[in-house]
Formats: sequence, structure tokens, C-alpha cells
Amino acid sequence: MGGFLFVDYQKCVGCKTCEMICSQTNEKLYEPFLARIKVVWNEKEGWFFPLTCAMCEKAVCVSVCPTMALHRDQDGGVVLLEEKKCIGCLQCVQACPFAHMNFNRRKGVAFKCEHCGGDPQCVRFCWTEALRYLPLETFLSYRRRETAEKMMQEP
Amino acid sequence: MSVLYGYAGKLLEVNLSENRFKDRVLQEKLCRDYLGGIGFNARYLYEQIPTGADALGPENILMISAGTLVGSPFPTASRSEASAKSPMTGLFGTSNSGMFFGIQLKCAGYDGIIIRGQAPEPVYLVIENEEVKVYPAGNLWGKDAWEALDILKTEYEEAEIALIGPAGENMVRFACIENGYYDAWGRTGLGAVMGSKRLKAIVVRGSGSITPFKGEEMLQKTLEARKRIMASPFYQPFKSYGTMNAAIPYGKFQALNAHHFTRGCLPDWKQNFARSRVEEYMKSHIACQSCIIACAHWVEINQGKYQGLKMKDMEVTPVTSFGSGLGLSLEACVQASAQAQKYGYDMVSIAGTVGMAIELFRHGMLTREDIGYDIDFGQEKAIFQLMEDIAYRRGIGHILAEGSKRAAGILTGSEDAAVHIKGLEMPMIDPRGRWTTWTLGMLTNIRGGDHLRCRNPVENLRYNENKHNYRKERFGFPEKMFHDLDMPAELKARAIDLEQDTVDIAVMAKWAEDLINLYNALGVCIRPPVMNSIGPGILAPFFEDFTGLTMSPADLMRAAERAWNVMKLFNIREGEKPEDSRFPERFYRQAIDDKVLPEEQIEEVLKLYYQARGWDRHSGQPQKEKLEELSLEQQRYFDSR
Repeated sequence: MGGFLFVDYQKCVGCKTCEMICSQTNEKLYEPFLARIKVVWNEKEGWFFPLTCAMCEKAVCVSVCPTMALHRDQDGGVVLLEEKKCIGCLQCVQACPFAHMNFNRRKGVAFKCEHCGGDPQCVRFCWTEALRYLPLETFLSYRRRETAEKMMQEP
Repeated sequence: MSVLYGYAGKLLEVNLSENRFKDRVLQEKLCRDYLGGIGFNARYLYEQIPTGADALGPENILMISAGTLVGSPFPTASRSEASAKSPMTGLFGTSNSGMFFGIQLKCAGYDGIIIRGQAPEPVYLVIENEEVKVYPAGNLWGKDAWEALDILKTEYEEAEIALIGPAGENMVRFACIENGYYDAWGRTGLGAVMGSKRLKAIVVRGSGSITPFKGEEMLQKTLEARKRIMASPFYQPFKSYGTMNAAIPYGKFQALNAHHFTRGCLPDWKQNFARSRVEEYMKSHIACQSCIIACAHWVEINQGKYQGLKMKDMEVTPVTSFGSGLGLSLEACVQASAQAQKYGYDMVSIAGTVGMAIELFRHGMLTREDIGYDIDFGQEKAIFQLMEDIAYRRGIGHILAEGSKRAAGILTGSEDAAVHIKGLEMPMIDPRGRWTTWTLGMLTNIRGGDHLRCRNPVENLRYNENKHNYRKERFGFPEKMFHDLDMPAELKARAIDLEQDTVDIAVMAKWAEDLINLYNALGVCIRPPVMNSIGPGILAPFFEDFTGLTMSPADLMRAAERAWNVMKLFNIREGEKPEDSRFPERFYRQAIDDKVLPEEQIEEVLKLYYQARGWDRHSGQPQKEKLEELSLEQQRYFDSR
């Protein structure tokens, strides 16, 4: 089984390169609406929050898809969308709790993050390490170390 | 004509007098000769603004263009340039800003917006996916920039907004155009131009696409450019501490504007503005589009009377302008920045103008009766009150709103009290305390007293040595820095003398101005880690992958130089004289730290710079050969209407 895409919003500085790279990788052009990852910026509070597909274990989008266009890959890690089967009913768009599922008006089909086939390009270009693609255990061990070091440094 | 990749492909021309809109399709020749951003602005305004036009009248034209590489992941490619005839200098006014306005503009379908004429009533403009609408600004007019943004952002979710505050509405000559809540096209009074057009805001929102010529190659070169920037010795300091890095060394050199250029540094500067104090308030880093430095900070004041104040701030310019220039505390500097953002002020000019008023008050040339209250350096209540009075042109504010040069003339009959070059207030660096390529750049700058259009890419802040009659500054880096610098070999050898360990100020100034003009055409940021590592050799192949236009490094530099010369011609046409390229008298007469500027030596460096530019050595006028070399005046790029 492959990795998880982890988002550490505290490290995000809001450069939105991930959005651009995502669109470029998947669509061969930059169109903000077609990015599979979006950074929310709260200008009054000064925080950024990158949002992408959480690959939910009990994925609502998969449950509501009437044509089984949405399904899990063979390893069971990534939720994929088979464009040919998509009828553009937008059930998944409405159901997704993270406002991740999106709809391509030109093609008339839904689209979503599919981890670039196991090598997510947003992660490759994220220089802040706000985005990381790792096995769960490796991620947690990094996080434990980071948290411990931070707490030890604080006066 | 071949397809233009990377560009949105057209400019939007709005005539507010006639409520007419027109698209101007980009011609390949314009893109090759002027690239984008400041290049487009320079050429269009040079052709279209009538000579002698009133900067605050309907004949003036305001233009905002995105840099060409905006929409690509090239590191820091976020920036856009706003330009018009400046109400401060009467010359070419121009200012650069980052964040996300440029990319939204391109996604809305335009590389640039041109605002002509004057609306009969206050309006705001909405540009959304090539649809353009003008709405009455009734409920927005009179609101400060933050209040107006709150209203507009509710209606236009995720839009980028350029707007003016009360200072712009009331045509305070140094009003800026705000770029969202915390950024601005700050200098040369473009907000007053927008106010004169009765245009409160430009809202842009787009979901269009930007298509690169060779996407894969572009991504690969992005990673290579990043690697270079990250390897710069300036990268880590700027990444962790941002522009504030310069504040302490300049203080150490006695080269800060302190108390309106009457001192080189405040006695308690180092303690009050120590890194540890500043970092106490910095909560996180903020980047512009595609940036890998994130030099900006989110600041939260968690104690004292400004507790609860939070914003993006603590850049070196506001901190030194208000902190050192006006003697405000660190916390009050943040409050001053917030006020300046709300009113819509150029922070350098408002601090300079208030500083001059304080100086006049100290000398008894302004009295309590004139102002309505006492004022002095460090007195935040009076300083904030005066900032408000200027924004609304109340009392003495009505005169000070004209900028320090004009106000000094009105108040004292002489301009001596004003610290300006060509009518624009000088920024926080005192050339008496430190003489470098950077400070020469204040004299040669087409926009007047300003530090952002000429910066030695290998400036060394560890040293402060005037060498060879002010013609050289210390290089002081390992040889590797020389070899890595992206600059043509022959020129590099003339600009940097490794044996003597010096940088030739005049030669480097010419190169630095052209390089920055190239950045401002392409939308790349001038932060030192970028200037240090990215030149035309890196940019040219990327430019080709993104736009599909083959341009050599020399072609790019020539385009940047062409735009600089066009702006200079604009200035000369508007009456700029050789003697305008001069520091205010106090810098030659009044010593700080036992130092005055030696007039003749400075004049000589300036002449060497003119020579390096291929301009007349005495008058600083571009010569016929130079104009021919740049094929500058041969054709028009824009039909007249």
C-alpha cells in the first residue's frame, strides 16, 4: 500500500505553487479551477489551509456515485474516478465533506486528486514540507520528533 | 502570427469618461520588444499620454500589467506593475506589487488593464473572465481601504482587489493603490491618479487558463531555478527574517534615516528593534504566488496598547520609515502601517512628509496654531492625528497632502526642508552613511528618490567602504560568488574587480537597473536571494519554454534596457533636467557621523553612469546611437484609439 498525503497547515506559507503544479500536471495548463488542491487563506487571521482529497476510508463520494465511476484502486488506498463512467450528476461534489470533489464544465465530468499515480507532484514542489506523502508510520514518527523538539525548545 | 503561449493575449482598455471598453490583442513584436509588465506600461504610456498632461486630470492614463512569467511556477513570479504619469514627480510614475493580483488578472483573460478618462461619478470596475462591468461606488466611496475590502470580498469571493483609501479619493499626491489588505503599488502617487479618475476599486477574478509552450521543460527549469536561489548565501537570512535583515547593519553604519535625516541612527535603535523583539511578534511566514522565500510575516501584537492588532507587516520599509524616521516604537510602527494601509498611503512618503512637518515645527516654522496641536518625533498620538488630517486634507493636512516638496515650497518659500529627489521622498537609507550602487540608484532612478530600481546583486552588508573616490564599493565575497553570478562574462569582469576586491558602482548600477527592469517586466521579485542568483541566462530559456518566443539572454536585457530608456525619454519630455538628479542640500552640507557627500565626486560617478548607459555624459540624455541600437523610436505599437 502506498502513502498518505499529509497536510501540515502550520507550515504552509500560501505560495499556491501546489495549485499551479497540480493543474499543470493533470491538465497541461494552469487554470485555478482545475487544481485538485486548493489553499484557503484567511486574510484577517493570517492562516493558510491547503485542502485536497482525504481519501476517506468510508468515502461518501464513492457511496453516492450511481455509476461506480468512483472506486478504490486495487491497493485500497486511493479513490479514483473513471471518466468514461461519470455521468456528471454532481452527487459526489455535493456529498464531499471537504469540498474537494470538483466538476469540469468543459468535459462534463467530475474530477479529483488521484495522487498522480503514486508520485504527487504538489508534494514534489512543496518546499515548506506542508505537504508530505509518506506511509502513515513514517509520517507519525516524523511528527512525534518535530513535536517533541518544538516542545523542548520552548522556554 | 504564431500563437503566444504564457500570455493571456490581450490588454483591456477602459475609458471611464465614455464608459467604453476595448480589447487590444497582443502583437508578437510588442512581446519581443517590451516583454510585459513594466515594459508594456512604459511603451503604452509613452505613446498615449499627451505631453504636459495633468497627472490628476482625465488625460492621464493608469495601467496595471502582470509580469510575463506570472502564471508559471518560476520562483517569485507573482508581480505586476502599475504606472501612470506621477502626481508627485510629474514624470513616469510606476510601482510594483506581488501577491495574487497578477495571476488573477491573467486568469481573467488580460495581461494588463488600461484606465483612461475620468468617471462622472465614483465607480468600481469588475473584470471577470473577459467580462467587464462598471458599477457605482456609492457605498464604497469614503470608506477606508479595509472597510471597502470587507464589503467587496463578501460580494466577490476569492477575487483580487486593487483599491484606494481616503488618501486616494482626496487626491493626496502620495496616495498608493492598495493590493488587498496588506500590499500596495506604493510609490509615486498612483492612488491619487486612481482617485482623480473616481475609480475606487478594480476587482479581478478569473477561471481562465494559462498555457505554457513546453510544460515539462518549464517544470524542470523551475526546480533548477529554485536550487540556485536556495543556494544563495542570502536565502536563509531572508527566509527566516525577511527584509528586516537590513535594519540593523544600516543602523550600525549610521546610514539610516533617523528623525527625518537629521541623525544616522537612533541611540536605542539596536535594543528597541532587536531581532528578538521583532520575532516576538512574528507568528508565521507569508509568501506571494510561487515564491520560495516567504519573506513576509504575519504579526500579532500581544501586549501593550496595540494588543490585538494583527496584520501582515514588519517589512523593513515601514519599520524604518516610522520607527527610525519618526521615532515610533516597534508596536506603534505596526499601528502606523495599519493606518497607512487603511488610508492608502505610500509609507515612505507619508513618513517623509510627517517628518518634515515635525522638523519645521521644531524650528518654529510651523506652530501649534498652524497644526492644531504640538508634534514631535516619537509622539505617536500627534503623528497618527496628522496622518489622518492629511488623508482628509484637513487644516495643515491640505498643504502636506501635496507631498513634502510642494508643501515645503508653500510653507517656507523654499524646498530645503523636504528630503526628496525629483519630488519623491527619499527612503530610509542615508547616502552619507553608506555610499553604494544602491544609493547612486536613488539619483538615477526614473521615479525619483527611491531605492527599489537599482540594487547591486552582490551587495555585501558586512562592509562599508568608499573606495576610489566613491566609484567603488567592496565586493568582499569568495570568488565562487563571482563565478556563479548570472551576468555576461565581459561585463562581469568590468563590474567586479577580484584583485582589488571592488564593485564598480557606475557599471553595476546600469546592469542592476536593467536587471530589475527585466524582473519588473517578467514579474519576478527583487529580493536579494533572487537578484543574487537569477539573471538573463536563467530567465531566457525559461521564457522560451513558457511563451514559445525564442529570446537570447542579450535580447531580454536589451528589451529591459529599451523600456528603461523609454521611461527616461518620457521624463525628459515632461521636463526632467540634469540638475534634478541630485540629493537635497543637507546631504552635501550637514554632516552625520562626520560625513557629508562630496559633491564633485558624486557628480563624477553619475557621469560615469551616464557613460555606461550610452547617454550624454553631462546632460544624461539618451543619445541617437543608443536609441538606434535599441530601435526605439521607429514605430508605434498602439494605434491611437
